[in-house]
Amino acid sequence: MAEQFAEPVRQHLYSLNLGPQHPSTHGVLRVLLTLDGEYIVEADPVIGYGHRGHEKMGENRTYLQFMPNTSRIDYLSGLLYNHGFCLAVEKLTGIEPPERARYIRVICAELNRISSHLLWFGTYLMDLGAFTPFLYCFDDRENILDILDRVSGSRLTYSYCRFGGVTRDIDDVFIEQTRAFVKRLRSRWKDYHNLVTKNVIFIHRTRDVGVIDKDLALRFGVTGPNLRAAGVPFDMRKVEPYEVYDRFDFEIPVGEKGDALDRYRVRLEEMEQSCRIIEQALDQLPDGPYRQERVRLKVKPPRGEVYFAFESARGQTAYYLVSDGSPYPYRCHVRVPSFGNLHCLTEVLRETLVADAISILGSIDIVVPEIDR
Amino acid sequence: MAARDEVVRRLREMLGEAALAPDEDYAKGVSWTVQVPAASLPEVLGVFKEAGFYLESMTGLDFQDTLEIVYHMNTYEPRSRMAVRVLCPHDGEVPSATGLYDSALWQEREVWEFFGVRFAGHPDLRPLLLPEDSTERPLRKTFGTVHAYRKREEIYG
Repeated sequence: MAEQFAEPVRQHLYSLNLGPQHPSTHGVLRVLLTLDGEYIVEADPVIGYGHRGHEKMGENRTYLQFMPNTSRIDYLSGLLYNHGFCLAVEKLTGIEPPERARYIRVICAELNRISSHLLWFGTYLMDLGAFTPFLYCFDDRENILDILDRVSGSRLTYSYCRFGGVTRDIDDVFIEQTRAFVKRLRSRWKDYHNLVTKNVIFIHRTRDVGVIDKDLALRFGVTGPNLRAAGVPFDMRKVEPYEVYDRFDFEIPVGEKGDALDRYRVRLEEMEQSCRIIEQALDQLPDGPYRQERVRLKVKPPRGEVYFAFESARGQTAYYLVSDGSPYPYRCHVRVPSFGNLHCLTEVLRETLVADAISILGSIDIVVPEIDR
Repeated sequence: MAARDEVVRRLREMLGEAALAPDEDYAKGVSWTVQVPAASLPEVLGVFKEAGFYLESMTGLDFQDTLEIVYHMNTYEPRSRMAVRVLCPHDGEVPSATGLYDSALWQEREVWEFFGVRFAGHPDLRPLLLPEDSTERPLRKTFGTVHAYRKREEIYG
């Protein structure tokens, strides 16, 4: 009887599946962890569970028909993706939207950016075990969704932009609500800082955790707040100003060493900068048409290609469109920021604790359907 | 701007004037387009790497007569994006960039599974977004319904 158990198990490395159905992976993501005790030896993210073939779909429908797809690539910043797609097609075709439409798009896009960051804020804190901030920021986020719902008709997948304008004009109520929202959000910073930023448990869970420095970012193509947290002031709105972003006075918040705490600070500061952009855009908002009338439903860009990069909530996003002169794109490629941001985890997660892995994964702010496309 | 000019100078020496095409207005979203033969791709990407560029995006294009891989390189300076284009036959091979850029590990897996381009020297060519047993090449124009299947010159001619 005793002989059966005589041989002890020598192997001390073991595998653990984090996900695909795990609340802290924010979508259907599986990370295959190889563990030595509580330390991670190797992490291999397994993606593709939500692959829908957006790029193939893009080749089989007209440019306008692809618009609803764009807000479903990243469902948390759908309007930013609509906006970028619109700008790419306009650049390819040579459509000039009227001034008012440009401002409306910027206002709505920045509102969407705040809502995306607020959701990240709430869920990240929930991953770390704090429940109250989640309720606070969903309360604030609800305001944005109501405002955008009023003007676009939906709460998440907006499809609000059109080539040469937007679907509906904004009215005085929208402007009033937006101003009230910005004012209200500003009054909330104090609560957020008291609840979270000064919280000693939070600081211990994030400081010096998951450092992504400039060198690592360069190797993996990390962009967005994750890159800016490493101290690189690289933001498409500043380096390649599109739409009317060059008319506004705003800053690019940067961090120092690129740990999870820096990423948190950068995103929080970015929301304040978005508020500044919204206020300035509301002040400068011109009268006039909100949509270019002479745009065909089936736009036919000339032969050629365009690579259009813009800043979504998670980083540098780009559409690469190749046109053969027909109403259907010949190739429609989307460069998504979360792809590079997640890939660098293979390096960052090495030799960290499993508990820190949750904190790092949350602080990167990934949206899995965006990676899977 | 400095990094971009440095790359352009070195690539001129390496490939000759004809391989580089400028786009001063940034109308296509890139400042320079570089046409590179597959064999010299590692050297060309090495030049980018030394100048501090990162591999921003990588994708394929399927034409009747050839496949084309497009690399978009960028650095943290305004208007520095450059496109590197490589032609590759449908059953051909392209040297892997994984030795230079870690991001190529995933991006090449993606191009491989969707277009069927083999990357010589890639350590781990498994499907990334598609199921692990898939053998289809979904973004080739021979798969599923497509609107058009053209020769390269019909678009870039």
